[in-house]
Amino acid sequence: MQQREEKQLEAGLDALIVRVKDLRDSIHAFLMKLEHEHQTLQWTSVLDSFALLSGQLSTLQKLVMKEKMPSLQNLIFLPLVLSPDSDPQLETTTEGRVPVFSHEVVPDYLRTKFEPEVESREKTLTTQSERLTPEAAQKQIQQLNNLCDKLLNKLNAASEDWDSEVSASQGSTPASSLADTSALIAAVSFGKGLKPSRTPSQSGPDTPQSQPSPQASQAGPAPGKAPSTIKTNIRSGASSHPYQR
Amino acid sequence: MSGGVSMQEYLLQGSVLDSSCETLLHRLRGLSDNVDTGPEAFVDQEMVYILRGSQTPPVMLRARRALDQPDSLPWQLRYVGTAEAGIGDKSRSTLVRTCIDVATSDNVTTFLTDMGFRLDHECVVKGYLFTKGCIKVTVSKIFRVTVPGNTENLEPLSLSHLVELSVVSPSGQDEVADTMKLFAEQLKPIVQLEKVDHRRLQQV
Amino acid sequence: MGVTCVSQWPVPDGKSGQQAVEMLQRRLEATGATKAGSFCVDCETYMSGQSITPSKTAHVMHSTGHPLTCFAIMDSGTCLVADSNFDQLMTKLKGFYAPRKGAKIEVKGPRYEYVDFIVKIGTVTTGPTASSRGILVEVEYTPCVVPNDCWSLLTEFMGTFMGDNKPAIPQVLASKQDGIYSPTDTILQYLEHFNNYRKSTGNK
Repeated sequence: MQQREEKQLEAGLDALIVRVKDLRDSIHAFLMKLEHEHQTLQWTSVLDSFALLSGQLSTLQKLVMKEKMPSLQNLIFLPLVLSPDSDPQLETTTEGRVPVFSHEVVPDYLRTKFEPEVESREKTLTTQSERLTPEAAQKQIQQLNNLCDKLLNKLNAASEDWDSEVSASQGSTPASSLADTSALIAAVSFGKGLKPSRTPSQSGPDTPQSQPSPQASQAGPAPGKAPSTIKTNIRSGASSHPYQR
Repeated sequence: MSGGVSMQEYLLQGSVLDSSCETLLHRLRGLSDNVDTGPEAFVDQEMVYILRGSQTPPVMLRARRALDQPDSLPWQLRYVGTAEAGIGDKSRSTLVRTCIDVATSDNVTTFLTDMGFRLDHECVVKGYLFTKGCIKVTVSKIFRVTVPGNTENLEPLSLSHLVELSVVSPSGQDEVADTMKLFAEQLKPIVQLEKVDHRRLQQV
Repeated sequence: MGVTCVSQWPVPDGKSGQQAVEMLQRRLEATGATKAGSFCVDCETYMSGQSITPSKTAHVMHSTGHPLTCFAIMDSGTCLVADSNFDQLMTKLKGFYAPRKGAKIEVKGPRYEYVDFIVKIGTVTTGPTASSRGILVEVEYTPCVVPNDCWSLLTEFMGTFMGDNKPAIPQVLASKQDGIYSPTDTILQYLEHFNNYRKSTGNK
């Protein structure tokens, strides 16, 4: 009889250890991710990690609640020896986190209840709330609800105002002008408004035709701007081409 | 480098008022591929040359160079055909035209003049380039060159920025037109990108 | 890319062009040069139609040494270096510039390497029948781009397999002197030889 229970306990603990190890590994991976990839980390990947952790926690919880699992509450874990010397075996099993099994760390690691201080404060709070009559509590709840409602209304009104303002500003000033679109497209397609004849210094619609002809027939010191640059162009043009080498 | 394959340009055009340009750039920054680096700013000079003949229709070529990095980029010589038939066709979502882009050495203007071309007009284009997959988006301000050949004396053509959405691809890839249309939808209502019938504009 | 000299190689009386090429190849191989592929330089000549006066000539050339590049030379001497799809652009100008019938000229042959030198021996052919016109020899000294610094070396090397028929300094190199040699200069040398062949056949 006792042997069977012991076997059950053994099997249960083994299962627990496996789950806890899984959990530890995922926490480890998550920490690594936070430390090394925090510059490129996407929030979706963080959410994935959280989802994994919470899933593992809930399987762990289910395992503890299982019927086959012996009632752990009835078992006692008793540290027999505390030692201030470092314990290499402990250090390896905890991956270097707990090097010494001493009076300093044991209360923290083996604690199953709150610290006494916290426990007493919790107690006073509970008694305080118990002293409150149901009527008084109801009143306070209502007050809080009223306050929340008022705040919510104010926020909603403000956001509506803001939305309408934005849409009004968009609606009243159009972002584009049809006339400008036509003008710009006409300019880039066939030079409407860009031809040199439009400039006041030159007159007559024939200027574009008549002006460049002297350059073409004689590339010498013709009047105007172009000839000098043309000469240098020929030379540098041949040497600065990207496919030269 | 397209070798012997003939290329086509799919084009949607529109404009945005200078006052709303920042909003558009902001939206494009979020939609385009260059989120990290931001848009590429450019300052180009475009010179449009025409070769006229008595019997043949004139041919227009555009020579473009980067004013902001004159030594590192080659000149671009560009031929664009007239829009394909069916501009009024509702099933086609964008304007489609043949285009030839040729990178050239910097003596291209001399070369064109020697061939008999005449400079018709020129302008300076300052703007930003975004990319989204194969789609190219430019938001640019067009400047008139008040003194011919002098790219320092500039005068804005209008109080708006020209917005162009284009894809250059081998002919027959009509599905890109739909992709472009979808992208254009996301820029509304700041800018309405449409296929614009250039012939209609020419008559106005 | 280094300094290059292109010269005409006379075909001895009573021998075919093929025999002359083979003789040159044997001499080169005797010096220790190794064959490394083949090469081709072609030239299409376009004449302007009636709409352009005075009439103009444009040569469009390609070289296997620069497979993605197209060289366009006007009779004015302006040489444009462009992407290979410049050819497509020329088809858009067919109302103004048309290829001269039977004027396509080509030089083709083996390519040799000897330490820092590259030697190309090409047979010049014209027209649709690809009739042989003569032989051109191109010698390039790759480590140097200043003609004055390496002409004597180049001429000495040419002497080793061309003997008394080694060429005098080409006009292009002589005028460069201490300037930087560029691929365009090689193309211009080929064009000059092509034009000479055309003239000589015109006289016959």
